[in-house]
Amino acid sequence: MSAIDTQSQANETAMLSVRGLAKSFGGLKAINDVSFDVRPGEVTALIGPNGAGKTTVFNLVTNILARDAGRVVFAGRDLANLSPVEIANLGLVRTFQSARVFPGMTAIENVMVGGHRLGRHSLAGQALWLWRAREEERRTRQRAGEMLELVGLSGFAGMHATELPMGAQKLLEVVRALMAQPKLLCLDEPAAGLNDTETQELANLLRAIRKLGIPVLVVEHNMSLVMNVADRVVVIDSGAIIATGTPAEVQNNNRVIEAYLGKEDHGAS
Amino acid sequence: MLEFVQIAIGGLVVGSMYAAIALGFSLIYRVTGAINLAQGGFALIAALIGYTFGVAWGWPLIVAIPAAVIATVIAGVVLARFTFVPALARLSNANVLMLTAGILTMIEGFSLVVWGSQPYATPPFSGEQPLAFGGITIPTQAFWVFGATALIIAALWFLIAETRLGKGLRACAENPAAASLMGIDVPRMTLFSFGLATLIAAIAGVIVAPSTSLQFDTGRLFTISGFVAAAIGGMASFPGAIIGGLFLGLVTQLSTAYISSLFSSAISLLILLVVLIWRPQGLIAGGVARRQDTRDDVKAAGHAAKLPAHLGWPLAALAVLVAVAIPFAVTDNGIMSSLVIAAILFMALMGLDVLMGYAGQVSLGQAGFMAIGGYTSGYLAINTEIAPALSIFAGIGVSLACALVLSVVTLRLRGLYLALATLAFGLLIDSCAVGFIDITGGPSGLVGIPSFSVAGFTFATPRAMYYLVLALDIVILLGLFGAMRSGFGRALQAIRSDQMAAAALGINTVRYKLAAFLISVTLASLAGSLYAFFFNFLAPEMVGTSRSLELVAMLIIGGESTLVGGLFGALLLTLLPVMSAPLAIYKTFASGALLVASFLHLPQGIYGVLIQLLTRLAGARGEVAAKVNPVSDRVQAS
Repeated sequence: MSAIDTQSQANETAMLSVRGLAKSFGGLKAINDVSFDVRPGEVTALIGPNGAGKTTVFNLVTNILARDAGRVVFAGRDLANLSPVEIANLGLVRTFQSARVFPGMTAIENVMVGGHRLGRHSLAGQALWLWRAREEERRTRQRAGEMLELVGLSGFAGMHATELPMGAQKLLEVVRALMAQPKLLCLDEPAAGLNDTETQELANLLRAIRKLGIPVLVVEHNMSLVMNVADRVVVIDSGAIIATGTPAEVQNNNRVIEAYLGKEDHGAS
Repeated sequence: MLEFVQIAIGGLVVGSMYAAIALGFSLIYRVTGAINLAQGGFALIAALIGYTFGVAWGWPLIVAIPAAVIATVIAGVVLARFTFVPALARLSNANVLMLTAGILTMIEGFSLVVWGSQPYATPPFSGEQPLAFGGITIPTQAFWVFGATALIIAALWFLIAETRLGKGLRACAENPAAASLMGIDVPRMTLFSFGLATLIAAIAGVIVAPSTSLQFDTGRLFTISGFVAAAIGGMASFPGAIIGGLFLGLVTQLSTAYISSLFSSAISLLILLVVLIWRPQGLIAGGVARRQDTRDDVKAAGHAAKLPAHLGWPLAALAVLVAVAIPFAVTDNGIMSSLVIAAILFMALMGLDVLMGYAGQVSLGQAGFMAIGGYTSGYLAINTEIAPALSIFAGIGVSLACALVLSVVTLRLRGLYLALATLAFGLLIDSCAVGFIDITGGPSGLVGIPSFSVAGFTFATPRAMYYLVLALDIVILLGLFGAMRSGFGRALQAIRSDQMAAAALGINTVRYKLAAFLISVTLASLAGSLYAFFFNFLAPEMVGTSRSLELVAMLIIGGESTLVGGLFGALLLTLLPVMSAPLAIYKTFASGALLVASFLHLPQGIYGVLIQLLTRLAGARGEVAAKVNPVSDRVQAS
């Protein structure tokens, strides 16, 4: 039942199916023949040591970087030649490694921006103060408030986003992405820079998202978070996949241990 | 052939001057990543001081010229110490560019106050008698220009390549953060490079002064030519600046001689726009790539002042009442006219605020669209039977068409280069307004535009025009307010602060930026048409680049991303000179100084200050006051 299938055959049942992804920077092969699936309703974690190419995979999937080879199919649609905006509007919404809240906007406004792709709002309707446009605005604000409540950030709603503590900013970014009602949520190192309590809150949020039925692809460094939350783990090292499986399977995989700790006869360097 | 050589030599003389100014641009750009538009202002100041010392006070030239250069450099360094250097730490590069535009305006205003508006000429250093080689005559001053430029280039090269100081400058250019960790005093280096650039500009100014006529606004021409030269050659490259300068000098002189002097600047600006599309980094890429990974736009996004919600509608109603009542209290026709002008400019300012304040797109060419709108509707109203209202729509149509063409360039550019492209566009429209005499009436303006009329009613008096413009302002404000407080405005603000994150949430950044641009163009065009109808006259300088810079100043002084902030800036800068005639001469200086001061000390503008006062009065304890100075605590780069 291996999900990895090195043929360029996309998996029909997967939410996201990545096949034979490759990217070189200059002469350096950053990503080499990476294939994996994200299945509906599951949290899939993409892990690997520093510099393994995890974020590059993210950027290749969302077409922020152009790929040299490979195929990415999302919800049955080939993502080739689509812009990052079009990909987001298909329902594949991502966050960034460093919290990228919008400065100059309040926390609740940040979340409301997430609802953008669902809005019917035409510029004319808003400029003419049409009842429907005002009503939509009111509903968006209400939903954003509920989202903040979900993660316990209600108290910050009116504050400028950049004045929130780091952990809150990270959660805010996840909630903002959630507000877009994604079909697949891609999180790039959401736990980076979080303390233990905040990481715990994040884990709870991820479980809540899974309960909502939204599949998640998460790039993560924090092992305890991955082992606690992920249904499947894809391990990447030096731009290639070295293992896939459940957290327990991966934890006992020799190649994974090697990649993280170094080969035993070379010492743990 | 002889004639061609003669013209080419003239071109090289002018080109050497451009090259020297361009070198100053490159130097500051390489060390700080910002562009200093005040460059040409310093060249002018040096030349004018040289005139005062050498001609008015009769000092010997050998004393007067160096003294003028030294005085200018001291003034430049002091100015930079209190404006440019602190601004670099707080503002985005595009905002620093606008701040230096403010410094240039200040210098212009200062020259106007001290030297007045008449032209000056200084004597050549070595007599009037030109040298003759065969059939070619060369004025002796040309040799001074060539010599000084060569000396500047050699000295600069030696300083940068061979000295410890040069190494420090190069380190700042490559990575300021790392340089400061290595013990290099980056602000001091910045100040030093600024002083050096001022020195170059001052030398160029005094040397070239005898071959040109000097006026308070000649500095702007120096800046623009040097800037275009640097942009064509490559902003980050010294050889690029030199080649760009000489090339531009040749092109302008040859096109003046063989085509028409009216179009010589239009041709150089077209070359610049082509270069910007084809190679935004200029013909010669710089040896040093500046780090682009730090997010400049974080510094770009301040917090706008917000009115406490419960005060909003009552205050708006009160403001409308006051505005309606004003004509009954004001009897002075001059003041009434200024109110109309302020209200017309407010229209363009609301558009500029959508573009700059909300979408974060810098525009230094907004008056170009006022010109297109004003000239189109003015020309149609004079020469055809078309109704004035329709001619306004025609003007908007032409403006939008030009905007779509320009957007091919601007949508690909950000920050500094966007500012550059819009400035070039504004200047291009300037020179077209002067050059297309048959349509625009050329430098003397388009006369005989009828007053605005609709359905048989003519808005001939300032009072009638006031109510017309007021009604339009209110309708536009309400519409924009509706859009800005909804999804549209939020999307623009998201784009302003982080394009990539906005795109990742499905916001089509290109479409929204284009929409913001077209809104601003529509309003600028409308304002330009009303302006022409109100004055019954339109001349190039009424809607030229100084107007564009003034609009930016008004917006920043009034308060960005507030929609209504611009009104305060417009009222201040149009009413003050009228209320008090002796102040009029200080207007240019004041608008520059206020722009600089607002950027540095009042990031939320007058509107922000008023809101703070109101909030305090209303007893809503300090919700706004807590955010008085949101930009000061930001670090420059990481």
